[in-house]
Amino acid sequence: MREGVEDVDALEIRHLAYRYADGTEALRDVSFSVAEGDRVGLIGPNGAGKSTLLWHLNGLLPDHPAREAAVRVFGTPVAEPHLPAIRAQVGLLFQDPDDQLFCPTVWEDVAFGPQQLGRQGPELSARVRDALQRVGLAGFEDRHPSRLSHGEKRRVCLAGLLACEARILALDEPSSGLDPRGRRELVGLLKTLPVTQIIATHDLELVVEVCPRVVVLDGGVVVAEGPTVQILNDEALMLAHGLERPHILRHRHPH
Amino acid sequence: MHHGLSDPYQPGSSPVHRLAPAVKLAAASGFVFAVVLLPRGTWPAYAAAALALVAAAAASRVPLRRLGARLLVVEPFALGVAGLSLLQRGGVVVFLALLAKSTLCLASIVLLGATTRFSDILQTLARLRVPSLLVTTLALLYRYLYVLVEEMGRMHRARRSRTFVRGRWFAWRSSATVIGHLFLRTSERAERIYAAMCARGWKT
Repeated sequence: MREGVEDVDALEIRHLAYRYADGTEALRDVSFSVAEGDRVGLIGPNGAGKSTLLWHLNGLLPDHPAREAAVRVFGTPVAEPHLPAIRAQVGLLFQDPDDQLFCPTVWEDVAFGPQQLGRQGPELSARVRDALQRVGLAGFEDRHPSRLSHGEKRRVCLAGLLACEARILALDEPSSGLDPRGRRELVGLLKTLPVTQIIATHDLELVVEVCPRVVVLDGGVVVAEGPTVQILNDEALMLAHGLERPHILRHRHPH
Repeated sequence: MHHGLSDPYQPGSSPVHRLAPAVKLAAASGFVFAVVLLPRGTWPAYAAAALALVAAAAASRVPLRRLGARLLVVEPFALGVAGLSLLQRGGVVVFLALLAKSTLCLASIVLLGATTRFSDILQTLARLRVPSLLVTTLALLYRYLYVLVEEMGRMHRARRSRTFVRGRWFAWRSSATVIGHLFLRTSERAERIYAAMCARGWKT
């Protein structure tokens, strides 16, 4: 799947606009790109368009793709007929884990993605085992998803993406509903994953810890973009967009 | 978070639990077919079927009370169907026969559910080449029944915590609102689930 060209961005978004069927304008002229291996935080107030943007990375929106795709993944436009390949490369973590865990058991759920990719037998089992181990849920294979705590559900969802070996992870509020230990483990896991990540979240401390770069979205527009510490230290900017300077930076000198 | 719906499966290591799901599935469907085909009013045959079922239940070591409680939950449906036959002439015999037969069938399915994981039944169905659309639908039904009941419980509690008056009319009206909301939420959720399936490579 590699393009062979080193300077192709993992993710390239150009003039992305989206309006919901009821007329709500969710995204207006959004442009930015993410280099391979980068970890980018996507922050902004509620209703800024973060989730809508992530859905575009997987071709789940718009319902009727434009002729000229605004999003490119490793140079490939997110549009038919490339959608299956795109979805195999971009792992999307949904905001509500109950939407994402649709199989009767944990094992089947984690195996769902790789199975669609044609994996089976011992290779499939190894992938599932490995993915569950990485999120700290070894031994949960036979559990029923509705019997899990919110944090466990989230980790199963993440395991489902890891098992697909996606090259880009698009995570929607990955730390919401996690207890402090679960959150700490998530931060540790995200920092060690050698894949491109785009993380939409209100958890600004997580952004500081995990993402060197940040994109601020408000009202469907990119209002700021740059190094995380610099942007999040800009108190006026933060307050103007329903955010705040995280505590973790207050005890740290910007340079 | 606790919710009202308990899993029909009763974990255990009895011989019945350890039987292959396919065998149990075949036995249960065979039993149902046999009972349905029994002529009306052959009471000794009904008794024999009941005896076989009780023996299987005893071998499964699932507490009979639990099985009975499960059976009671579905019994009203059998009662309703059988009740219709009371309207015809000589309907009492038909009623009793129908009630006995459907109770036997339901009891065998209750026993199957108590001794076999639903996910195993689904996998067996898939291996038997039952259309995958049907198996997927059953799997989603099983999965989201719990989510739905949980959601309903949450909404109901939230309503109650803000209800300060007592009154049947008010309670009915607020239940209606909860059901309406649940319907909306469910259809929105269905869309997100479908999106999540597509995101992980589901092919239509």
